Amino acid sequence: MNINILLQLLLILIAVFIISSKDNLKIVISYSVFSLIAACLYFLYKAPDVALAEIAVGSAIVPLILILSISKQREFIVLNRLEDSFLEASDERSGIGYEILSEFCKYYGLKLKIYKKLPGKANGIFSHRNIDLIVEKHHLSRRYLFKGKESSILMYKLEKLAAPYEDIKVIKLEEGETDEQ
Amino acid sequence: MFNEYLLSFILILISLYGLCTSKNIIKSIVCLNILEISIILFFLRIFDVSGGSAPILPNELSSMVDPLPQALVITAIVIGASVTALALMLSIKVFHHYGTLDWKELLEREG
Repeated sequence: MNINILLQLLLILIAVFIISSKDNLKIVISYSVFSLIAACLYFLYKAPDVALAEIAVGSAIVPLILILSISKQREFIVLNRLEDSFLEASDERSGIGYEILSEFCKYYGLKLKIYKKLPGKANGIFSHRNIDLIVEKHHLSRRYLFKGKESSILMYKLEKLAAPYEDIKVIKLEEGETDEQ
Repeated sequence: MFNEYLLSFILILISLYGLCTSKNIIKSIVCLNILEISIILFFLRIFDVSGGSAPILPNELSSMVDPLPQALVITAIVIGASVTALALMLSIKVFHHYGTLDWKELLEREG
């Protein structure tokens, strides 16, 4: 049997594995292996320059940007506008809001990131930065407001999770709606 | 029976199947890359000469592989990498706007 045909069969096997796999990181690593074997085949087809470009681009740069974007996607970015310790995380007693949000993120496999105050209105921040949730305190009713985008599915799930808590209200802002604060 | 043309054509079909049926956006992007690689394999196999040499200053010109398709293919590889980068940037935006990366849930949200 020819070695070209052997490598082609290996490529088909890896492609079937990628299509049947569910884990993102496994897909990225097997794509890297796939493009290395493809580079071997390019070399056997008498195209060494294409093989070099494929090794550099296909098996190094593309998996690198894939992994970077996967780690960026799995983040749930929260903007903290509170004065008290509702969202503070500490070793002994962390706030109720922090516990709710960390449980939510653990359940959906997200990574929680809480930032302190940033200037600007909610709407402007939503459109310019990738912020998923803003936590504020209503000055009259003393309730905590969770403000998020109306388009996001995660907000509906968070609303269900926060339903038993009396002092938390989830508000979903529409696209282009201004935030009066 | 195991023709190399046939095998790279099977690879093209597998990646098209993955592009049509995958639920995850990341997997669709990887399937696009696999489609590109398999088309390049098919293309280079067409212009391969059995018993020929690589196009690096050969002794006799008749046994050399044509260098023009290889030069075209390098451009295709670089363009494929930049298309991947653009698609990944759009997928980050989609995740932070819709809160999901599943094609089915996205279509349900859009109605």
